[in-house]
Amino acid sequence: MTELRVTADNETCVTSSLCVFRLPQVFDQDAEGRVVVLDPNPPAELRRDLLRARRGCPTRSIRVEGEGVPQEEPLG
Amino acid sequence: MSPKCPVSYPFPWAPAPDIPQDWRTMREGPLLEITLPSGDPALLVTRYKDVRRLFADERLSRNTARYPASRISANNDLFGDPEIDNDPPRYLVERSIVMRAFSARRLEALRPVVRQITADLIDEMEAAGTQGELMEAFAFPLPILVICHMLGVPPQDRDKFRSLIDGFLSVSRLPDEEVERCRIEYWDYLTELIAAKKADPGDDLISELLRVSAEDPEKLTDYQLQHWIKTLLIAGYVTTASQIGTGMAVLLHRPAVADELKADLSLVPSAVEELLRYQIMGTSLGSLRYAVDDIDLLDGTIIPKGSTVLLSVESNMDEEVFADPTELDIHREDNHHMTFGAGIHFCAGAALARMELQEATDGLLRRLPGLRLAVPGEKLVRPVGGFLAGYDDIPVSW
Repeated sequence: MTELRVTADNETCVTSSLCVFRLPQVFDQDAEGRVVVLDPNPPAELRRDLLRARRGCPTRSIRVEGEGVPQEEPLG
Repeated sequence: MSPKCPVSYPFPWAPAPDIPQDWRTMREGPLLEITLPSGDPALLVTRYKDVRRLFADERLSRNTARYPASRISANNDLFGDPEIDNDPPRYLVERSIVMRAFSARRLEALRPVVRQITADLIDEMEAAGTQGELMEAFAFPLPILVICHMLGVPPQDRDKFRSLIDGFLSVSRLPDEEVERCRIEYWDYLTELIAAKKADPGDDLISELLRVSAEDPEKLTDYQLQHWIKTLLIAGYVTTASQIGTGMAVLLHRPAVADELKADLSLVPSAVEELLRYQIMGTSLGSLRYAVDDIDLLDGTIIPKGSTVLLSVESNMDEEVFADPTELDIHREDNHHMTFGAGIHFCAGAALARMELQEATDGLLRRLPGLRLAVPGEKLVRPVGGFLAGYDDIPVSW
């Protein structure tokens, strides 16, 4: 498995904090509650949880890239 | 049901703790013409993929009080305050201030408090015997005690506080003048509480909101702050109570599933998620929106500009997205239900609600392994009205 790259858009984040609950080792919140990526290259075994965090984000503010990582489904 | 003939909404309940028939059959077309409790018309978006998309579509305005939108009920519109701007950009400014008080870290710090409240309530149930009524003994007190703790409501005010919210939220159960009296008294109580926290700040949510608001250049006015607190309280109380009680009724009505969960409490988080998806008490009334433009759905159907729109929580039963949707599957993965909505208005209290539901479910099943419905599920008393209405009475024994 190749490395994963995680980014998050704190402009569109609405601070639901779901990603932080799901993966506190990867995501955190700044003073305003907006998403912060703690670990932009998380270990491959977190891949499944990362894809879930991405899908669970209410504003689609999380990006996960890496070899073989499926594109995010379009909204809807 | 024919799409030509508007149907009354919310749909009637199923006779047992089960998915109502209308929830199973409503997706023949992408839009359903409905009549709200007020008698006003609206369009219900039925299919999950449309619902998910439209939660993120800014052509659906939340400022329903600023447009000629249909009303939820004749005497009470929870979101109908024209002084409050519920659309971007202002909404996002306010939301980001308020949500600072709801960070994951702050909520995790609250977990031991929720666990203790849960344990105390179960102690009282055990002390009272081997049977009782779950809503009154457990499901209502838990979230109200958590909210009172978060807000710093003094213990002696808790009964009054609850009776005002209960009255205010009774959309169609109380006479109009009673609902209005509760609404005014509740608002006045919040005014007093906020004034008290301003004079003597503590370690509570209101004090924290006053602090973060004061630090922010685009800070909330007192009115806006009070509006947010009012909304958070309403949103955090009856919703959670109903989900605790009615979710437990759904579970206990299926003893084999309940036994499986008791045998492996590590399944509690996914079971809680599945019970959230498996709505029998939710309605889509809270998603009321107004179309400021024509909006196209995935199959090409157009929502005409000027329509009042509801985004369906019943889309949790969309077989295109969920396998065997009417089965309660506590192992279900990728359970992205619409119970908390999506997009920028995603439920602000979702993380808090999840924590309370997890602690409640774990606590009840761990401490009261013999917990069961004391009447057949078919005999549970169904509510006659209400904005969001779980069972009024859930007799249980343990």
